[in-house]
This record gives sequence, C-alpha cells and structure tokens, in this order.
Amino acid sequence: MANPEQRQAIEELVYRSCLALDARDFKGFLALCEEDFQYTITTYSPEIRKDMVWLDHDRKGLDTLLTNLPRHNSDQSPITRHATVYTVDVGDGTATVVSALQVFRTQLDGGASELFAVGHFHDTVKLNGAGPKLAKRVVKLDTRLLGYGYHIPF
Amino acid sequence: MSKNAEQWQARPNFPSTHYVDARIYSDQQVFEEEKEKLFRPAWIIACHESEIPSAFDYRLFTHPAGVPLIAVRGDDNKVRAFYNICPHRGNTLLYDPAGNAKRVTCIFHQWSFDTRGACIDISRAEQGYQDRFCKEDASLREVRCEVGFGGFVWVNVSDDAPPLAEFLGGAMDILAPFLEEPLEVFHFHKAHVRTNFKLWHDTNSEFYHDYLHYFNRITGMMQPGYFERKYTGFPNGHATVGSMQIKYDKYEGSKERAVGWPGLAPGGWFMVDVFPGMTYNLRTSVLRMDAVVPLGPNEVVIEFRGLGLKRDTPKERAERIFDHNMIWGPFGRNLHEDLLAVHGQGRALHAGGDARWILQGREENSTIHDEIGMRHYYAEWARRMGRPPFDPFREGKPEPVRAVA
Repeated sequence: MANPEQRQAIEELVYRSCLALDARDFKGFLALCEEDFQYTITTYSPEIRKDMVWLDHDRKGLDTLLTNLPRHNSDQSPITRHATVYTVDVGDGTATVVSALQVFRTQLDGGASELFAVGHFHDTVKLNGAGPKLAKRVVKLDTRLLGYGYHIPF
Repeated sequence: MSKNAEQWQARPNFPSTHYVDARIYSDQQVFEEEKEKLFRPAWIIACHESEIPSAFDYRLFTHPAGVPLIAVRGDDNKVRAFYNICPHRGNTLLYDPAGNAKRVTCIFHQWSFDTRGACIDISRAEQGYQDRFCKEDASLREVRCEVGFGGFVWVNVSDDAPPLAEFLGGAMDILAPFLEEPLEVFHFHKAHVRTNFKLWHDTNSEFYHDYLHYFNRITGMMQPGYFERKYTGFPNGHATVGSMQIKYDKYEGSKERAVGWPGLAPGGWFMVDVFPGMTYNLRTSVLRMDAVVPLGPNEVVIEFRGLGLKRDTPKERAERIFDHNMIWGPFGRNLHEDLLAVHGQGRALHAGGDARWILQGREENSTIHDEIGMRHYYAEWARRMGRPPFDPFREGKPEPVRAVA
C-alpha cells in the first residue's frame, strides 16, 4: 500500500507522462523514464484469439522512433490522453500502477473531439532516487479499430 | 497556369486506358454493381487456417458482397463455409467473431446445426410442422470453400464460379516457393476508412507512392536495380511485383534482420495483388495479407493480417512481430502513411466534390513506377462491369471496352 506522499508522487508521474506526450514533448516524456525503460502496446484479438504486441521498444528504440516521427507524413490532429490512476501497489523499491486510459482526438478543422481509444496503463515505477520514474509501461488497449491510425504511441 | 472549369472537365491527353473517371470512386450505383459483378463471382479470403486450427473452430466473415459467413472446421477436419443466417427466421447464428461450436444453435428458437451444415434439431418440430417440414428442409446454405495458397481460407458465394486455382491463374507462382511451410497468423487488425476500396488496391498496385514513404524508402530508391523491378499482369486482373533487396536496416531505428523467411533472400520483397481487393506482401520476415471489405462507395474496412511460420520458436516469432510492427503495425512507420493518403483521397473524391479524372498515365517499361498495375486492374474492371472506367456513365462517344492494359 502506498503512503499518501508516494501515491501523490506516482499519480503526478503518470499525469505528467500524459501531458508530455500530448504536447509532443518527447524529451520531456523520456526524462520521466528510467534508462532501462521498456514501452509496449498490447491488445487481445477476439478474431484470432491471440494476444498481440503492437509496439515494443526499449528506451533507445523509443527515442529513435520519437525522433523520426517528424520525418513522416502524419495526421496532425492532436490527441489527448486522460488517465485515472486506479491502483498503486508498492513493493521493494518499485510500485505497480494500473490506470484507466482514454484517448481523444480533436480535429484541426472545426475542433470536434472524438473518443479515439480506451485501455489501461500498466506501469512499473521505480521509487529510488530523487523521485519516481517510469521503468516500464505496458499500454493494454481495448480499442483495436483506429481508423487511418496514428503515429505517436499512447 | 491554373485551369478553368472547362479545362478541369476536359479529358486528359492520354489514351483512354491511362485515366479513369473519378466518379467510379464515389457513385452509389457503380458501387452496387461492383459488389455483384466484381466481388460476388470472385474468390475472397475469409480467414487463415491457423485461425481455426481445431475441429469445430469457427471464424465469422462478412463477404464483400454483403453476405455474412461462417468458416468452420468440421469433425472431419475439413473447412467449410456457410451463410451465418438461420434458415428459420433469418437470425444471426453465431455472434462472436471466432470460437468453437460443436453445434451451431440459433439463440432465437434453438434450431441447431452441425458443422457440415445439416439441421440436427428443430424445437418442437412435430407439434408445429407435423409432416410438412423437417430437419432435412432446414439445412444451412453452404458456399464454396478452398484452403490454399499459404493456408488461406478462400470462399466463393457463386456456385458456378471457376475453381480457385483457375481464378488465380499463374499469379501465385511467384510466391509459391515461399508458401510451402505451414503459416500462422500472429497479427490481425482492421482499419475503417472513409474512402473507396479501389483506392486501397490502387495503392497496393503502384510503387510511385514511394514518395509518400520518402523517409522509409529513400535508401531503397538509391539502390541499383530498385526501379528495374517489373509488374506482371495475369488474367482476371491479378498482378505481381518481383523481388528487390530492401535495406530497411539503413532506416534509422531498424536492426539487422536475422530471422528471415525460408528461400527468400535477405531483404527480399514480393507482392501479389489479387483482384478485386487482396494483396500478399512478403517482405524479409513477414507475410502481410490485406483484404478489403467495402461498405459503401466511400467507406471500406481493410483487414490486415501478419503471418509467420507455424514452426517459429518464441524468439523467432518475437523478431517477426518486431519487424512487422516497425513498418506495418498500427503504430508502424508505413501503414499510417498509406491509410492517411487514401483517407485524403476519400476526402477529395466524395460524390459532388467535382474531382474529375484520376491519372494512371506513367509508362516506364512496366517497372515499379509505371502505373501499369492499376491499368491492368481497370482493364479487368471494365471487362466485368461491361463499361469503361474512363466513361462509366457512357457520356462520351462510343468506344470499345478496353481489353488490354
């Protein structure tokens, strides 16, 4: 069980990670992550009855991916990540954190917002050092239909 | 110098085989005819055999002509396909997209069917039907089904269509050496896009849109021989593109591809476009299969599958998945660009938008930036639709339906 101070710091870490990615502040996002950070997007397909991995990168791979993004033709509609921290379980120097995730996309022309995806963050947070940092993030998506898609990870 | 309205409407200064009327991408009547004349007689991929590995496994599929289907592996291990429609009151028989069902039982009145399509139970049959109607009168509608060409489950809703091998002709010969081992699906997702289904197939039928993927492809385009690869057309509208050695490892963020594909040179790439809307895409370590399910003239669902070898070790499979995701995954570098482009075409080509002509006029000795792949497709389109795509409403002076791309 996390004490109130730990919980507040961990919640703020999760929310800051959303704000950084929403702002496409990729350096700011990576600054919230440990050097051995691992990022994965998974989902389950009822059609083929299999768990699927849709993205899997270590910190270096994610850094490269995020650096390359501006060089691609991409949808420029901003997306907004809404996370709600559900559970925080503190262990030996780490915490496992489960958050609900909703992602909205807002059209540039007219500004209509639509629900884009739902899922959960399953984060592993290291509690050592100056403050909590993300050691691992698994985005478990419920939504699998993403229209014409999006380049930036959730 | 820009064009005025008259100039915008004027036919392009190309042979009529080298452009199409933009309205074939938005007209409702054309679309309804396409469902009947292109999709209904065609062999269509419903799923892959690895999605239904055990007896009584089933997979649902909406046929592009609109028919809801069940592909099911019977107790005899044979894969069959049926309408997912109860012959009693027309209810959907199976609801989940995949599963295992020894009996197919309609939830509405509990009529039951076996996996060979026979009705095996009608609730209170004698009381209601006496001797006027019995189980033998209530069989499921079976459609033709063949498993092949990489283990895909092909269906055909026309009883009188030619066999699958005849439909494909020699188009699959180029891939046959690489499809000898059993395969397994590891990835499936759909994309729902407001665009015409042909525009997706067009994208799969030309490499000139290398420039859309400029950041991915620039290293490839600089390699000797890149532009020499050729399109080959086959009967019934299919086309292939020969191999190249792509160098995605030069793309920053890639890693050396070790897992490979049996018989395929490192960095090899083969494509087979199957009329009217499926594409095999074998690249380095992954086979990708695209299949369109059109929902309207400006609305399509594209089903994407990624396949590896059934015998893959966990490490090999993980490498294939990594390779797949980097380029073709939903967050990959390539797929979103393709989808964004056809989404943009859908925005511009909708009915009433006054788009007029779509050019397919590039001639480069049938090599990959030649637009002959599309021209070959539309020659078959014309043959099946009984009208030329450059004049689909017969507004121009009479011209013969083109037969040669």
